[in-house]
Amino acid sequence: MQQDDLLDLELQRRLSAGDRAAFEDLYRRFASAAYGLALRVTGQPVLAQEVVADAFLALWRAPEAYDPARGAFRTFFLSLVHHRAVDTVRREERLRKRGERASNLEPLHGEDVAEDVVEGTYLVQRRREVREALETLPPDQKRVLEMAYFGGYTQARIAEQLGIPVGTVKTRTLAAMRKLRRALYRED
Amino acid sequence: MSQDHDRIEELLAGYVLLGLTGEDAIEADRLLSEHVPTCPMCRETMAGFQAIAGDLALAPDPAPPSELLLPRIRRALAEAPVGRRQRGAGRVVMVAGVAAFVGLAGLTLSFGSRATKAEDQRQRLVQTLNAMQQPGANPVSLTSGASNGGGLVEIAPPGTQRMYVFGTNVPAPAAGHAYQLWLGSAGTFVAVGSMFEPEEGGIVVIPFTVDLSRYDEILITEEVAGSTPSIPSEAHRWGAALAAAAAA
Repeated sequence: MQQDDLLDLELQRRLSAGDRAAFEDLYRRFASAAYGLALRVTGQPVLAQEVVADAFLALWRAPEAYDPARGAFRTFFLSLVHHRAVDTVRREERLRKRGERASNLEPLHGEDVAEDVVEGTYLVQRRREVREALETLPPDQKRVLEMAYFGGYTQARIAEQLGIPVGTVKTRTLAAMRKLRRALYRED
Repeated sequence: MSQDHDRIEELLAGYVLLGLTGEDAIEADRLLSEHVPTCPMCRETMAGFQAIAGDLALAPDPAPPSELLLPRIRRALAEAPVGRRQRGAGRVVMVAGVAAFVGLAGLTLSFGSRATKAEDQRQRLVQTLNAMQQPGANPVSLTSGASNGGGLVEIAPPGTQRMYVFGTNVPAPAAGHAYQLWLGSAGTFVAVGSMFEPEEGGIVVIPFTVDLSRYDEILITEEVAGSTPSIPSEAHRWGAALAAAAAA
């Protein structure tokens, strides 16, 4: 387990005991990553801030929802942010007018990004590894993965948008996930 | 890897990306509650995919939220104590007390939309009782706003997304009405399964699958039978914090 993961674990333990300072430490550690993700998925700063606020409040209300046996706190919390962002997008169908913007990893026009964000070394390193892994995917697999994850599209909707069978979406999704697993976790 | 496991892996990949709908979503829920917990290969697959989903969250550029966000969250915290500490003590149905129901002949139960056969119903009751007896799966009472609310509890065995609502002496809904289960987060709720009514003896057993990272509240309301409500009514509701129950 990484040093940063151990620190997160300790902060989460203190949070479970009602330690407000631990909550604020976790906010400082993850607010930028959470907001960057929520902004990418929702495409709207106001909604993205709602998502981040909801996620942190949910964490405060029920820190026990995190089970250390299931992986790093970072994975748990950012997945929680992602779920809420996708739920928001699906509720707000009008966001679909943002079109293809959410389907790539180029910075949004006017998005306040990166340079002045202070993050742990591990997050910066892992971000680079994830991006490199994504770049190894064949374009058709990368497309369905990004439409699902960053666009919040269901597999049925992706098939409709791309004009391909749902079965092809499933196949490409699985192939992409397998490749990412091999790339990021050094599996055979 | 067998053909079945290829199919399961395909569903799990779609599940962690939140991409499943319809029959695929139902099948994934079933697999996650029945097969995956007992299959080391599928557990490993699921854990790996969940880790990848967490990693994908890092791909976008980080961006600092507004300076106003943290003060706003602080204000909300001041108004919202930690969920599990604010939950009122309620009546808890003890495992030993409900175990006696297993052998009752002709027992019919409410399970939601998918269970129709008596044997299936009986098996689900056994599942519920087994869940209640797992270490750490202490039943938690759902708080009722009514004086005759009956005894409803939620049971959340650790290490699974399968949960159960079990109750006895649950009063019948008003004429032309039925009960609806909802899962919620931050005050927004979605209806889960079909409407139901308690069976003889006011017995209710409802198994369901829930992603605790998405939902943290449970509600049961009384709705007009046959309607498709999009928000919970204020009528005769029970409620509790989901995640708190999982850890209680």
